[in-house]
Amino acid sequence: MTSVVRLVFSNLKYLILALAIFSSMLVGLLILSEYIFLEPYVVSHIPSGTEFGFILIVTISALSALVLPMNIFRINILKKSKQKMSGGIVGSIIGAAAGACSCGPIGFAVISTFGSVGATATAFLTNYEIPIRIIAIGILAITYFTTVKSLKIECKFDPNS
Amino acid sequence: MNKKGVIIGVIVIAIIAGVAASLSVPASETVNLDMGRTHGTISTAMGSPILGDPSAPITIVEFGDYQCHQCYNWFHNTKPAIFQDYIETGKANLVFVDMAFLGRDSPKAAQASYCAEEQDMYWEYHDMLYNLQESKIDGGWANTERLKAFAFSLGLDNELFESCLDSGKYSKRVQYNTQQARDHGVRGTPGFFIVGPDGQQQLGGAQPFSVFKQILDTMA
Repeated sequence: MTSVVRLVFSNLKYLILALAIFSSMLVGLLILSEYIFLEPYVVSHIPSGTEFGFILIVTISALSALVLPMNIFRINILKKSKQKMSGGIVGSIIGAAAGACSCGPIGFAVISTFGSVGATATAFLTNYEIPIRIIAIGILAITYFTTVKSLKIECKFDPNS
Repeated sequence: MNKKGVIIGVIVIAIIAGVAASLSVPASETVNLDMGRTHGTISTAMGSPILGDPSAPITIVEFGDYQCHQCYNWFHNTKPAIFQDYIETGKANLVFVDMAFLGRDSPKAAQASYCAEEQDMYWEYHDMLYNLQESKIDGGWANTERLKAFAFSLGLDNELFESCLDSGKYSKRVQYNTQQARDHGVRGTPGFFIVGPDGQQQLGGAQPFSVFKQILDTMA
Protein backbone atom coordinates (compact mmCIF):
# COMPACT_ATOMS: atom_id res chain seq x y z
CA MET A 1 0.00 0.00 0.00
CA THR A 2 2.77 2.42 0.95
CA SER A 3 4.58 1.42 -2.24
CA VAL A 4 1.63 2.57 -4.34
CA VAL A 5 1.58 5.88 -2.48
CA ARG A 6 5.34 6.19 -3.00
CA LEU A 7 4.91 5.43 -6.70
CA VAL A 8 2.38 8.21 -7.16
CA PHE A 9 4.11 10.83 -5.06
CA SER A 10 7.59 10.12 -6.41
CA ASN A 11 6.38 12.29 -9.26
CA LEU A 12 6.95 15.88 -8.10
CA LYS A 13 3.85 17.09 -9.96
CA TYR A 14 1.55 14.94 -7.78
CA LEU A 15 3.42 15.83 -4.62
CA ILE A 16 2.97 19.55 -5.31
CA LEU A 17 -0.70 18.95 -6.15
CA ALA A 18 -1.17 17.09 -2.83
CA LEU A 19 0.48 19.87 -0.87
CA ALA A 20 -1.65 22.48 -2.66
CA ILE A 21 -4.87 20.55 -1.96
CA PHE A 22 -3.92 19.97 1.69
CA SER A 23 -2.92 23.53 2.45
CA SER A 24 -5.81 25.19 0.61
CA MET A 25 -8.42 22.85 2.11
CA LEU A 26 -6.96 23.12 5.59
CA VAL A 27 -6.69 26.90 5.61
CA GLY A 28 -10.08 27.32 3.90
CA LEU A 29 -11.89 25.03 6.32
CA LEU A 30 -10.14 26.50 9.35
CA ILE A 31 -11.23 29.98 8.26
CA LEU A 32 -14.82 28.85 7.64
CA SER A 33 -14.95 27.10 11.01
CA GLU A 34 -13.42 30.14 12.76
CA TYR A 35 -10.17 28.54 13.84
CA ILE A 36 -8.34 31.17 11.81
CA PHE A 37 -9.28 34.84 11.49
CA LEU A 38 -7.82 37.17 8.89
CA GLU A 39 -9.24 40.46 10.15
CA PRO A 40 -8.29 42.71 11.83
CA TYR A 41 -5.22 40.56 12.54
CA VAL A 42 -4.23 37.14 11.29
CA VAL A 43 -4.75 34.95 14.32
CA SER A 44 -5.46 31.28 14.96
CA HIS A 45 -6.87 29.58 18.00
CA ILE A 46 -8.59 26.36 19.03
CA PRO A 47 -11.35 27.18 21.51
CA SER A 48 -11.77 24.57 24.22
CA GLY A 49 -14.41 22.03 23.30
CA THR A 50 -13.71 22.29 19.56
CA GLU A 51 -10.58 20.14 19.43
CA PHE A 52 -12.37 17.16 17.85
CA GLY A 53 -13.74 19.34 15.06
CA PHE A 54 -10.20 20.58 14.41
CA ILE A 55 -8.86 17.01 14.18
CA LEU A 56 -11.63 16.09 11.70
CA ILE A 57 -10.75 19.07 9.48
CA VAL A 58 -7.07 18.08 9.43
CA THR A 59 -8.06 14.47 8.62
CA ILE A 60 -10.38 15.49 5.75
CA SER A 61 -7.72 17.78 4.30
CA ALA A 62 -5.04 15.08 4.54
CA LEU A 63 -7.23 12.37 3.02
CA SER A 64 -8.34 14.70 0.20
CA ALA A 65 -4.71 15.54 -0.50
CA LEU A 66 -3.94 11.81 -0.65
CA VAL A 67 -6.93 10.58 -2.63
CA LEU A 68 -7.39 13.28 -5.28
CA PRO A 69 -3.82 13.22 -6.71
CA MET A 70 -3.86 9.39 -6.70
CA ASN A 71 -7.02 9.41 -8.78
CA ILE A 72 -5.64 12.06 -11.13
CA PHE A 73 -2.53 9.86 -11.50
CA ARG A 74 -4.75 6.90 -12.28
CA ILE A 75 -6.70 8.83 -14.91
CA ASN A 76 -3.57 10.37 -16.49
CA ILE A 77 -1.33 7.34 -16.49
CA LEU A 78 -3.80 4.56 -17.07
CA LYS A 79 -6.44 6.59 -18.97
CA LYS A 80 -9.07 4.89 -16.82
CA SER A 81 -12.58 6.05 -16.03
CA LYS A 82 -13.19 8.95 -13.72
CA GLN A 83 -15.58 6.96 -11.52
CA LYS A 84 -13.29 6.67 -8.50
CA MET A 85 -12.34 10.30 -8.79
CA SER A 86 -15.92 11.27 -7.99
CA GLY A 87 -15.70 9.48 -4.62
CA GLY A 88 -12.80 11.70 -3.59
CA ILE A 89 -14.48 14.87 -4.79
CA VAL A 90 -17.80 14.00 -3.14
CA GLY A 91 -16.03 13.20 0.13
CA SER A 92 -14.10 16.44 0.05
CA ILE A 93 -17.16 18.55 -0.76
CA ILE A 94 -19.32 16.92 1.92
CA GLY A 95 -16.57 17.38 4.49
CA ALA A 96 -16.13 21.02 3.53
CA ALA A 97 -19.86 21.83 3.46
CA ALA A 98 -20.44 20.53 6.98
CA GLY A 99 -18.51 23.28 8.65
CA ALA A 100 -19.26 26.05 6.21
CA CYS A 101 -22.87 26.55 7.18
CA SER A 102 -23.62 27.78 10.66
CA CYS A 103 -23.64 31.20 12.27
CA GLY A 104 -20.95 32.47 9.92
CA PRO A 105 -21.22 34.56 6.76
CA ILE A 106 -22.04 31.58 4.51
CA GLY A 107 -24.89 30.44 6.74
CA PHE A 108 -26.15 34.00 6.95
CA ALA A 109 -26.02 34.39 3.16
CA VAL A 110 -27.84 31.08 2.60
CA ILE A 111 -30.57 31.97 5.12
CA SER A 112 -30.94 35.50 3.74
CA THR A 113 -31.23 34.19 0.18
CA PHE A 114 -33.35 31.09 0.63
CA GLY A 115 -35.37 31.97 3.74
CA SER A 116 -36.79 29.12 5.78
CA VAL A 117 -35.53 26.48 3.33
CA GLY A 118 -32.01 27.88 3.72
CA ALA A 119 -32.44 28.00 7.49
CA THR A 120 -33.48 24.33 7.56
CA ALA A 121 -30.53 23.35 5.37
CA THR A 122 -27.97 25.26 7.43
CA ALA A 123 -29.49 23.98 10.66
CA PHE A 124 -29.11 20.41 9.34
CA LEU A 125 -25.48 20.97 8.32
CA THR A 126 -24.70 22.57 11.67
CA ASN A 127 -26.56 20.05 13.83
CA TYR A 128 -24.89 17.10 12.14
CA GLU A 129 -21.52 18.72 11.45
CA ILE A 130 -19.47 16.05 13.23
CA PRO A 131 -21.34 13.00 11.83
CA ILE A 132 -21.25 14.52 8.32
CA ARG A 133 -17.50 15.04 8.59
CA ILE A 134 -17.05 11.47 9.81
CA ILE A 135 -19.10 10.23 6.81
CA ALA A 136 -16.89 12.35 4.52
CA ILE A 137 -13.80 10.76 6.08
CA GLY A 138 -15.39 7.35 5.53
CA ILE A 139 -16.04 8.10 1.84
CA LEU A 140 -12.48 9.37 1.39
CA ALA A 141 -11.03 6.32 3.18
CA ILE A 142 -13.05 3.91 1.02
CA THR A 143 -11.99 5.82 -2.10
CA TYR A 144 -8.37 5.62 -0.95
CA PHE A 145 -8.44 1.85 -0.45
CA THR A 146 -10.27 1.16 -3.71
CA THR A 147 -7.85 3.43 -5.57
CA VAL A 148 -4.82 1.69 -4.09
CA LYS A 149 -6.32 -1.71 -4.92
CA SER A 150 -7.14 -0.58 -8.43
CA LEU A 151 -3.63 0.84 -8.99
CA LYS A 152 -2.08 -2.37 -7.71
CA ILE A 153 -4.07 -4.45 -10.17
CA GLU A 154 -4.01 -2.08 -13.12
CA CYS A 155 -0.29 -1.31 -12.79
CA LYS A 156 0.46 -4.95 -12.05
CA PHE A 157 2.39 -3.53 -9.18
CA ASP A 158 4.76 -5.89 -7.41
CA PRO A 159 5.59 -4.58 -3.95
CA ASN A 160 8.70 -6.82 -3.76
CA SER A 161 10.22 -5.42 -6.91
CA MET B 1 -65.58 84.48 32.57
CA ASN B 2 -66.21 82.74 29.30
CA LYS B 3 -62.49 82.79 28.43
CA LYS B 4 -61.62 81.44 31.88
CA GLY B 5 -64.07 78.62 31.36
CA VAL B 6 -62.47 77.73 28.02
CA ILE B 7 -58.96 77.75 29.52
CA ILE B 8 -60.03 75.61 32.48
CA GLY B 9 -61.82 73.30 30.08
CA VAL B 10 -58.68 72.95 27.91
CA ILE B 11 -56.54 72.24 30.98
CA VAL B 12 -59.01 69.62 32.26
CA ILE B 13 -59.15 67.97 28.83
CA ALA B 14 -55.32 67.99 28.64
CA ILE B 15 -55.05 66.37 32.07
CA ILE B 16 -57.65 63.73 31.18
CA ALA B 17 -55.89 63.06 27.87
CA GLY B 18 -52.53 62.74 29.67
CA VAL B 19 -53.93 60.30 32.21
CA ALA B 20 -55.65 58.29 29.47
CA ALA B 21 -52.48 58.20 27.40
CA SER B 22 -50.40 56.98 30.32
CA LEU B 23 -52.95 54.26 31.08
CA SER B 24 -53.12 53.13 27.48
CA VAL B 25 -49.35 52.64 27.12
CA PRO B 26 -48.94 49.10 25.80
CA ALA B 27 -47.51 46.49 28.13
CA SER B 28 -44.43 46.25 25.93
CA GLU B 29 -43.20 49.50 27.36
CA THR B 30 -43.12 48.40 30.95
CA VAL B 31 -39.30 48.45 30.81
CA ASN B 32 -37.78 51.89 30.78
CA LEU B 33 -36.03 52.15 27.45
CA ASP B 34 -33.74 55.00 26.61
CA MET B 35 -34.96 55.40 23.05
CA GLY B 36 -32.11 57.70 22.18
CA ARG B 37 -29.38 55.31 23.31
CA THR B 38 -26.75 54.88 20.63
CA HIS B 39 -23.23 53.55 20.63
CA GLY B 40 -21.27 54.86 17.69
CA THR B 41 -23.56 54.56 14.70
CA ILE B 42 -25.59 51.75 16.26
CA SER B 43 -28.93 52.28 17.93
CA THR B 44 -28.77 50.06 21.01
CA ALA B 45 -31.99 51.44 22.50
CA MET B 46 -33.76 48.12 21.97
CA GLY B 47 -30.79 46.02 23.01
CA SER B 48 -29.83 44.65 26.39
CA PRO B 49 -29.23 46.67 29.51
CA ILE B 50 -25.62 47.83 29.75
CA LEU B 51 -23.32 45.32 31.42
CA GLY B 52 -20.75 47.19 33.47
CA ASP B 53 -20.24 50.88 34.08
CA PRO B 54 -22.51 52.87 31.72
CA SER B 55 -19.98 55.70 31.71
CA ALA B 56 -17.08 53.49 30.65
CA PRO B 57 -15.18 55.04 27.72
CA ILE B 58 -15.47 51.95 25.52
CA THR B 59 -18.56 49.94 24.65
CA ILE B 60 -18.49 46.48 23.14
CA VAL B 61 -21.68 45.90 21.13
CA GLU B 62 -22.24 42.20 20.56
CA PHE B 63 -24.70 41.00 17.92
CA GLY B 64 -25.61 37.43 18.77
CA ASP B 65 -28.08 34.59 18.47
CA TYR B 66 -28.85 32.33 21.41
CA GLN B 67 -28.69 29.24 19.18
CA CYS B 68 -25.34 30.11 17.63
CA HIS B 69 -22.56 27.75 18.70
CA GLN B 70 -19.85 30.30 17.89
CA CYS B 71 -21.59 32.73 20.27
CA TYR B 72 -21.45 29.93 22.81
CA ASN B 73 -17.71 29.57 22.15
CA TRP B 74 -17.16 33.30 22.58
CA PHE B 75 -19.28 33.39 25.72
CA HIS B 76 -17.22 30.61 27.32
CA ASN B 77 -13.74 31.25 25.93
CA THR B 78 -13.35 35.01 25.41
CA LYS B 79 -16.01 36.86 27.37
CA PRO B 80 -14.83 35.82 30.87
CA ALA B 81 -11.40 37.44 30.33
CA ILE B 82 -12.97 40.59 28.85
CA PHE B 83 -15.35 40.78 31.77
CA GLN B 84 -12.55 40.41 34.29
CA ASP B 85 -10.03 42.75 32.68
CA TYR B 86 -12.21 45.44 31.12
CA ILE B 87 -15.83 45.37 32.31
CA GLU B 88 -15.28 44.80 36.02
CA THR B 89 -12.52 47.40 36.04
CA GLY B 90 -14.76 50.03 34.40
CA LYS B 91 -12.61 50.32 31.28
CA ALA B 92 -15.40 49.05 29.04
CA ASN B 93 -19.02 47.99 29.09
CA LEU B 94 -21.01 45.59 26.95
CA VAL B 95 -24.38 45.68 25.20
CA PHE B 96 -25.93 42.58 23.63
CA VAL B 97 -28.09 43.17 20.59
CA ASP B 98 -30.05 40.28 19.12
CA MET B 99 -29.41 39.02 15.65
CA ALA B 100 -31.93 36.21 15.83
CA PHE B 101 -31.72 34.52 12.43
CA LEU B 102 -30.62 30.93 12.89
CA GLY B 103 -33.92 29.15 13.54
CA ARG B 104 -37.49 29.51 14.71
CA ASP B 105 -36.51 29.28 18.39
CA SER B 106 -33.95 32.10 18.11
CA PRO B 107 -36.41 35.06 18.17
CA LYS B 108 -38.38 33.40 20.97
CA ALA B 109 -35.25 33.00 23.10
CA ALA B 110 -34.38 36.67 22.50
CA GLN B 111 -37.90 37.73 23.48
CA ALA B 112 -37.64 35.62 26.63
CA SER B 113 -34.51 37.52 27.66
CA TYR B 114 -36.52 40.77 27.60
CA CYS B 115 -39.29 39.16 29.63
CA ALA B 116 -36.57 38.40 32.19
CA GLU B 117 -35.44 42.02 31.95
CA GLU B 118 -38.88 43.08 33.17
CA GLN B 119 -37.93 41.35 36.41
CA ASP B 120 -34.40 42.81 36.42
CA MET B 121 -32.87 39.46 35.51
CA TYR B 122 -31.78 40.07 31.91
CA TRP B 123 -28.13 39.14 32.30
CA GLU B 124 -28.85 36.17 34.56
CA TYR B 125 -31.26 34.81 31.93
CA HIS B 126 -28.85 35.64 29.09
CA ASP B 127 -26.05 33.75 30.85
CA MET B 128 -28.34 30.83 31.55
CA LEU B 129 -29.25 30.50 27.86
CA TYR B 130 -25.59 30.39 26.86
CA ASN B 131 -24.71 28.02 29.66
CA LEU B 132 -27.49 25.62 28.74
CA GLN B 133 -27.23 25.92 24.97
CA GLU B 134 -27.39 22.58 23.20
CA SER B 135 -25.70 21.88 19.90
CA LYS B 136 -28.83 21.34 17.81
CA ILE B 137 -30.47 24.39 16.26
CA ASP B 138 -34.25 24.18 16.81
CA GLY B 139 -33.65 20.90 18.59
CA GLY B 140 -36.10 21.86 21.33
CA TRP B 141 -33.69 23.15 23.96
CA ALA B 142 -34.93 26.74 23.44
CA ASN B 143 -38.61 26.10 22.73
CA THR B 144 -41.27 28.01 24.63
CA GLU B 145 -41.67 25.40 27.35
CA ARG B 146 -37.94 25.20 28.02
CA LEU B 147 -37.65 29.00 28.05
CA LYS B 148 -40.36 29.09 30.71
CA ALA B 149 -38.61 26.35 32.66
CA PHE B 150 -35.36 28.36 32.62
CA ALA B 151 -37.25 31.34 34.07
CA PHE B 152 -38.70 29.11 36.75
CA SER B 153 -35.28 27.77 37.73
CA LEU B 154 -33.98 31.35 37.98
CA GLY B 155 -36.76 32.13 40.44
CA LEU B 156 -38.61 34.59 38.21
CA ASP B 157 -42.30 35.32 38.70
CA ASN B 158 -43.65 32.54 36.50
CA GLU B 159 -47.05 33.97 35.79
CA LEU B 160 -45.60 37.31 34.75
CA PHE B 161 -42.90 35.69 32.61
CA GLU B 162 -45.27 33.29 30.88
CA SER B 163 -47.83 35.96 30.04
CA CYS B 164 -45.02 38.14 28.71
CA LEU B 165 -43.57 35.39 26.53
CA ASP B 166 -46.95 34.17 25.28
CA SER B 167 -48.00 37.68 24.32
CA GLY B 168 -45.05 38.03 21.95
CA LYS B 169 -44.81 41.67 22.95
CA TYR B 170 -41.06 41.87 22.39
CA SER B 171 -41.11 40.41 18.89
CA LYS B 172 -40.83 43.88 17.29
CA ARG B 173 -37.94 44.73 19.61
CA VAL B 174 -36.05 41.63 18.47
CA GLN B 175 -36.87 42.37 14.81
CA TYR B 176 -35.58 45.92 15.26
CA ASN B 177 -32.33 44.63 16.72
CA THR B 178 -31.87 42.10 13.93
CA GLN B 179 -32.45 44.88 11.41
CA GLN B 180 -29.80 46.99 13.18
CA ALA B 181 -27.34 44.14 12.65
CA ARG B 182 -28.19 43.92 8.94
CA ASP B 183 -28.02 47.69 8.52
CA HIS B 184 -24.52 47.68 9.98
CA GLY B 185 -23.24 44.94 7.72
CA VAL B 186 -23.09 42.19 10.31
CA ARG B 187 -22.89 38.96 8.30
CA GLY B 188 -22.89 36.32 10.98
CA THR B 189 -22.86 35.83 14.71
CA PRO B 190 -21.24 36.76 16.93
CA GLY B 191 -20.47 40.15 15.40
CA PHE B 192 -18.95 42.99 17.36
CA PHE B 193 -18.51 46.72 17.25
CA ILE B 194 -16.01 48.14 19.67
CA VAL B 195 -16.98 51.75 20.15
CA GLY B 196 -14.39 54.06 21.66
CA PRO B 197 -14.01 57.80 22.10
CA ASP B 198 -12.38 58.14 18.68
CA GLY B 199 -14.44 55.80 16.59
CA GLN B 200 -15.62 52.23 16.22
CA GLN B 201 -14.15 49.02 14.90
CA GLN B 202 -16.05 46.04 13.56
CA LEU B 203 -15.03 42.48 14.41
CA GLY B 204 -16.53 39.31 12.99
CA GLY B 205 -16.70 35.92 14.65
CA ALA B 206 -15.77 34.38 17.96
CA GLN B 207 -12.30 35.89 18.00
CA PRO B 208 -9.90 35.16 20.86
CA PHE B 209 -9.24 37.47 23.79
CA SER B 210 -5.87 38.57 22.38
CA VAL B 211 -7.62 40.34 19.47
CA PHE B 212 -10.06 42.15 21.75
CA LYS B 213 -7.24 43.10 24.11
CA GLN B 214 -5.21 44.60 21.29
CA ILE B 215 -8.13 46.71 20.07
CA LEU B 216 -9.35 47.72 23.53
CA ASP B 217 -5.84 48.73 24.64
CA THR B 218 -5.30 50.90 21.57
CA MET B 219 -8.68 52.59 22.11
CA ALA B 220 -8.19 53.27 25.81
